[in-house]
Amino acid sequence: MWVVERDLRMFLQYKFLIIMRAIWFVAQIAFFGLIASRMVVPDLADIYFEYYVAGVVIMMLYSASVFIGYDIFEEAEHGVFEYLLSLPVSRRELVFGRSIGGGIRSFVFVGPLIAVSLFVIGLTNPLNFLIAFSALFLFAFGVSGMSITIAVGLKSSDRFDILMGALNAFIIRLSTTMYPQAFIQDANQVYATLTNFNPVTFASDLFRWGVGIEKYLTMNPMPLAAIIGLVIFFSAFTFIGVTFYERRLEGGGWK
Amino acid sequence: MPIIRTIGLTKRFEDLVAVDNLDLNIEEGEIFGLLGPNGAGKTTTVLMLSTVIKPTEGTAFVGEQDIRKSPDDVRKLIGICFQEPKILWVSTPWDVLNWHAKVCGLSTEERKKRVKQVLEDVDMWDHRHKNVHGLSGGMRKRVEISKVLVQRPKIGFIDEPTAQIDVVGKHKIWNMIRELRDEGSTIILATNELHEADILSDRVGIMHRGKLLVCDTPKTLKDSILGGDIVEIRLEKEATQRALDELKNFQEVVDVIAVNPNNLRAYLNKVEEVVPKIMKLFLKKHLPISSIHMSEPSLDDVFVHYTGLTIEEAEQKRPSG
Repeated sequence: MWVVERDLRMFLQYKFLIIMRAIWFVAQIAFFGLIASRMVVPDLADIYFEYYVAGVVIMMLYSASVFIGYDIFEEAEHGVFEYLLSLPVSRRELVFGRSIGGGIRSFVFVGPLIAVSLFVIGLTNPLNFLIAFSALFLFAFGVSGMSITIAVGLKSSDRFDILMGALNAFIIRLSTTMYPQAFIQDANQVYATLTNFNPVTFASDLFRWGVGIEKYLTMNPMPLAAIIGLVIFFSAFTFIGVTFYERRLEGGGWK
Repeated sequence: MPIIRTIGLTKRFEDLVAVDNLDLNIEEGEIFGLLGPNGAGKTTTVLMLSTVIKPTEGTAFVGEQDIRKSPDDVRKLIGICFQEPKILWVSTPWDVLNWHAKVCGLSTEERKKRVKQVLEDVDMWDHRHKNVHGLSGGMRKRVEISKVLVQRPKIGFIDEPTAQIDVVGKHKIWNMIRELRDEGSTIILATNELHEADILSDRVGIMHRGKLLVCDTPKTLKDSILGGDIVEIRLEKEATQRALDELKNFQEVVDVIAVNPNNLRAYLNKVEEVVPKIMKLFLKKHLPISSIHMSEPSLDDVFVHYTGLTIEEAEQKRPSG
């Protein structure tokens, strides 16, 4: 619990970053979203705008959850990593706490943005929203776990930076954050297949379903596949990631 | 039963053997000084004993727990003051200690009491809400050692406890380490400040190039040097080899080390009898003496005795990784 608390407190210290990201979010929906939605069929322009706002929320949630990997390098640089490894907590508790902390703090950051998106989109079914919201926690914990696993696996901030940049390019663009699955399918079958297995797609679909706009774009009454996908993603990067982290660090610290 | 027992503990970093087959016993309730120059393997030993890094070979038992098999149990017994303060720049001293105390399981009431007490004792109370980024190196080191003082672990590893700390602060911290020992903690003090180890440690182990050279009480080690008295002779001119040889030939003189060409250190017996003879010798050799100083051996002399090097020379000659 103290590990979670620490990560939350650490994140709130990055006030400048949080403010800048929030400004980016507002600019993205106020300018890009509003203008780009005019490019689609006039009848669907408003729907696409809502679709895009929901997608940007998931993009923000993803990038906020990834941030904990950068914290690890900051800690390694200041030697804090060795201190954390010497504390009377198991490696498993440490990493699990950090994955959870990373996920919760990204929600603290994205929470106001979700409120903005609800104001823009509206809310038709509160129960659906609650289910989707809960599943998004799994997404955030999973992304934090993934970021920690990659950071610990690479042990190089430069390589981490490059890989996360590339991963971000693929994982966001080969997902339904910005365009519906039907259009991806039209463009390229391989893209569509990859999109179907992308956790960002699961999160985006769920969030849209939760706020009640997915019904305009797909026929799925309940994105069960997305929930299962997120459970698998969370499990993989939290539990398997924890084991990997445990072995990697117990076997020789950071260096 | 020793509280720490290492068995062939070894750590290699590629070609560099940082700790080489270390066999060491540390008794419960003692301050054990682990001495040696930078690069001797002290910090690596501490990091292995605290389970931060894993040994390449061998193992150690810390409070009867094997560091390889039960690292989680080992960590419940220990607290560390690292050589370099491990504090993120965004923290404040209060936050650092308060969080550390929480993780170590102190109750809210006890935590607040201890953190306040320790911050006052190390003269950091007035700086408790300042960002550590704005603190001096000495202040950060005070925060670092405060972690162990707040935690009061069963076994405390303290690496270079007074590095960058002023003389007054050093004495305060030394007293606090003694109090910690008196309250029941076992302290492992890793330092290259031999004077600090001499006055604080119940026993010391001297490490050099990853190996433990010798281990005993400071008094026993100092007494073990042949020629229990030391005479430092400063000359106005450089000593000639012939004068040095004649000095070494005195029956009472055990060894002579030229600290530099004008400064000789003689280890000898019967200092009262031999000093007049030394003065007479240098007078005869037209080597005026500018000063002569008699003392008992220190741990520096013990280090020189066992390695043939001063600690400064040993640091200059340390192998690079």
